[in-house]
Amino acid sequence: MKIVKKLIVVLSLALMVTLVFTGCAKEKTSASQPTENANASDFNSDKDITVIARDSASGTRGAFHELMKIKVKEGDKEIDKLVVGALEFDGTDKVITAVEGDKYAIGYISLGSVSDRIKAASVDSVEATIENVKNKSYKVARPFLLVTKGVENELVKNFLSFADSKQGQEIVESKHYISAVDSPVDYVVSSLSGNIKVAGSTSVTPVMETLQEAYQELNPGVTFEMQSQGSSQGIKAAIDGTYDIGMSSRELKDDEKSKLNEHVLAIDGIAVILNNQNPTSDLSSENITKIFTGEATKWSEVTK
Amino acid sequence: MVNSNKSNNLKEKLMQYVFYTSALVSVLAVVSICLFLLMRGIPAIAEIGFKNFIFGQKWAPVDTPPSFGILSMIVGSLYVTAGAIVIGVPIGIMCAVFLAEFCPAHLYKFVKPSVNLLAGIPSIIYGFFGMQIVVPFVRESFGGNGYSILSASVILGIMILPTIISISESSIRAVPETYKEGSLGIGATKEETVFKVVLPAASSGILTSIILGIGRAVGETMAVVMVAGGSVMPLDKIALLKPIRTLTANIVTEMSYSSGLHTESLIATGVVLFVFIIILNATLSLIKSSNN
Repeated sequence: MKIVKKLIVVLSLALMVTLVFTGCAKEKTSASQPTENANASDFNSDKDITVIARDSASGTRGAFHELMKIKVKEGDKEIDKLVVGALEFDGTDKVITAVEGDKYAIGYISLGSVSDRIKAASVDSVEATIENVKNKSYKVARPFLLVTKGVENELVKNFLSFADSKQGQEIVESKHYISAVDSPVDYVVSSLSGNIKVAGSTSVTPVMETLQEAYQELNPGVTFEMQSQGSSQGIKAAIDGTYDIGMSSRELKDDEKSKLNEHVLAIDGIAVILNNQNPTSDLSSENITKIFTGEATKWSEVTK
Repeated sequence: MVNSNKSNNLKEKLMQYVFYTSALVSVLAVVSICLFLLMRGIPAIAEIGFKNFIFGQKWAPVDTPPSFGILSMIVGSLYVTAGAIVIGVPIGIMCAVFLAEFCPAHLYKFVKPSVNLLAGIPSIIYGFFGMQIVVPFVRESFGGNGYSILSASVILGIMILPTIISISESSIRAVPETYKEGSLGIGATKEETVFKVVLPAASSGILTSIILGIGRAVGETMAVVMVAGGSVMPLDKIALLKPIRTLTANIVTEMSYSSGLHTESLIATGVVLFVFIIILNATLSLIKSSNN
């Protein structure tokens, strides 16, 4: 019994001591991290890449995985090929914190949330900036479109003018999307009433709902009917006239373009983010796909 | 005199109703949560198929066609809970023994409130601590990327400490003095008395503390989400240093933007969690009744 007791004492003491010491050691390394930025020599590119994704219900994930061909269509099936073991977090803040804390991490967040805690990688040598998204040279982005057919009635026109206005674009930016209107004007309240039927993209739906709420506060006589079943559905509904406004989170195809009025509500830009200590700052879209599908697992495989 | 009696009776009656309603509220809360879970969860399980849901390993709710298998998360919950027990129970019980039997009064004044404080720390703080300290520590000392069953177990092990310590301590204190006196009287040392007489006598209370600790560990959400990584791993790839998703983490990570069957499947995940808790509580009352 005595021996067992002694053993227990020694073990628990050892445990405490290690805990205390590692605690100290930890503080040292984390404190020195930011100053070591320039020193890339202790970045071991043969270490495994830590792939960080969003949860599968996230709109950012939906967009990124589609744009980067991580989610692929095979016949009528659609399969997300995210590598097994990728971390999945339910918020931009957690993705940032995780990338900030791990030298070998890669993640993605909406462009509006990039800060100096991490760095946004260039994709195919194009820097991830709002200007590059707007001039369409940065490819990891997609427009949020509102489409209508023919001549819009007064009510729809008024709602669209609200979406374009200062107030409307403020809502767009509060959702971390990029405003598509260069110099928005103030919205002028009308005294219209009636019902607007909207259908389409599930990604556009959240920002659309917020817009509608704000619009209804100013125009209490207006009601909305919403259906969110995907972009294609919304475009079709707008073309055949069953809905007033279709929401789309993809560019229109040429035959669709000829039939509809296109209205860019916002741009959803996504930044690929890396740890500040990662010497890499440019990735090809092909390599990004490889990293997220598990074809490439080490940094040395995607950098020269 | 008669009047005051009457008003006393009235007060009596009134207060009876007040207590009765209070009791009713808590029962009502449990019943309505049960109903909500079952009414929305069971149809979802039926639609997905019980076997596909419980024994499916593939969780891909937004693929076409979608898959809703939660086996990996059930196993994940079991693993991190087991890890928490391995870390938390020995430390907790030894701490309780120390507090109840060996702790000098001046130290007790410091240790006891610290333990209580541990119980009061919000789980988001544990999660943040885990993300900033435990995860990098695991990454640098054991490899992997740090988000792992191990990190989650360490955090949960710390989180269940107060539960285990306080209940174990009071059950150790409840052991009659005569037991100890008897043991000491026949020549046993203080240590022998504590470990061979007092601890066995307090075992049902200690077991209770462990089960309550398990309940806390199974149900913990925020801290686990932040340190476990949230990956849905196929069963053969689950490892101590690999990330994992638990049942609670599944619900909280995907609830915000999900829709349709996806949302329902998350509520169904809640049903499974609920069954876990019911089993734990049943075990608890079994222990209590066998003790009586």
